[in-house]
Amino acid sequence: MDKKIVLPGDAVADKPLKLEGCFVENGKTYAAVVSVAQEDRIIPLKGRYLPNYGDYVVGIIKDERFSGYSVEINSPYEGQLSNRDTREEFRVGDVVLVKIMAVDEVNNAIVVEPRRLTDGEIIEIESVKVPRVIGRSGSMLGILKQYTATDIIVGKNGRVYLKGGNTVLATLAILKICREAHTSGLTDRITAFLQNESKKVN
Amino acid sequence: MDLRNLKITAGVLKKANGSAMIEWGNNRILASVYGPREVFPKHMTDPRKALINARYVMAPFSSSEEHGRSGPNRRSIEISKVAKHVFENNVLVHQFPKTMININMEVLQSDGGTRVAAITAASVALVDAGIPVRDLVQGVSIGKIEGMQVADLDKTEDNYGDSDMPAIVSLRTGEILLYQMDGKLTKAEVDNALSMIFEGAKKVREKQVEALRAKYETSLGEAPQE
Repeated sequence: MDKKIVLPGDAVADKPLKLEGCFVENGKTYAAVVSVAQEDRIIPLKGRYLPNYGDYVVGIIKDERFSGYSVEINSPYEGQLSNRDTREEFRVGDVVLVKIMAVDEVNNAIVVEPRRLTDGEIIEIESVKVPRVIGRSGSMLGILKQYTATDIIVGKNGRVYLKGGNTVLATLAILKICREAHTSGLTDRITAFLQNESKKVN
Repeated sequence: MDLRNLKITAGVLKKANGSAMIEWGNNRILASVYGPREVFPKHMTDPRKALINARYVMAPFSSSEEHGRSGPNRRSIEISKVAKHVFENNVLVHQFPKTMININMEVLQSDGGTRVAAITAASVALVDAGIPVRDLVQGVSIGKIEGMQVADLDKTEDNYGDSDMPAIVSLRTGEILLYQMDGKLTKAEVDNALSMIFEGAKKVREKQVEALRAKYETSLGEAPQE
């Protein structure tokens, strides 16, 4: 598996392609952000979260109006939660899990299905690493939950909610996954890490 | 062509979205990038694109002349403006409507060619922030001492010389994003300076690439030994 770092301005294809983190100029495709090129996939390594239809994100209620709430979603853009979409009342500062229902052409997002997340802790990771923390069909997340007994909700926006169990170990493991996101054999290494750390406690 | 010693480190400020430290000759310049984020003041918001705010300042301790003076002066306002133009043409601003991107360049120690060094560092900081750009940009200043054209003058050489031509370019497209000049040059000297600029930019870009690889290559490859 040939992996290499690709920097902005590097050509990634001789024809115009719609790739994440890339742009097209004069019929060729170039990288726009620092990315990993793996076979024919380009995976950006950094970038702020932009709201997408269908994403579940962990947000924080930022403001309240007659019509609803603004939700800060760890993005340059906010989510708007209408009173029509919820029966609950929220306060500024509440942490909520919401779903992005609509995004307009200037990236304003409408969010729905709010679920208040109480107690627990929040950590923020790069939104580009979220798929790695979740793993294929949730496999990595399953391993984390198994060894820490922590309730973990990973928002697509890079905000992770942790409650109960060994949140410290879960946090360390998640940060480790982010640091080594593109190395091979990561799942096995994380499992070994969690096993070792669990043994130390007991 | 000889450039002064040049070293760039990416990601030196953990709280900024992106950052870079450049050590070029005796220059020490810190660039940081925040954004894209909500526009402040709000009425300046552009619904079609991100706004670029560039701020170049010299610390009061950056050289013997700056001693005690703080805050922007005419020169740093000028450099901020030309730096803003560089990045307005470099960042893919239409991907982030209604936001702003703050680029700060703080000169901690100055010794000639600071605007070029600051913008070179800022370009690395932007990439470190994950903000989409068309290319890494970089440049060098070309001067003239006793009739001979030289690249990358320090402050003493610049004061003694007869001309100073800083430029920032994009090697991929061959475009010039910043182009200024002091002094007197013949047309042939201008042409010569331009080709020296592109030659110098190649060397500078290598350092930028080195800095970014050093930071991002750790997330690749085989497992780090524990």
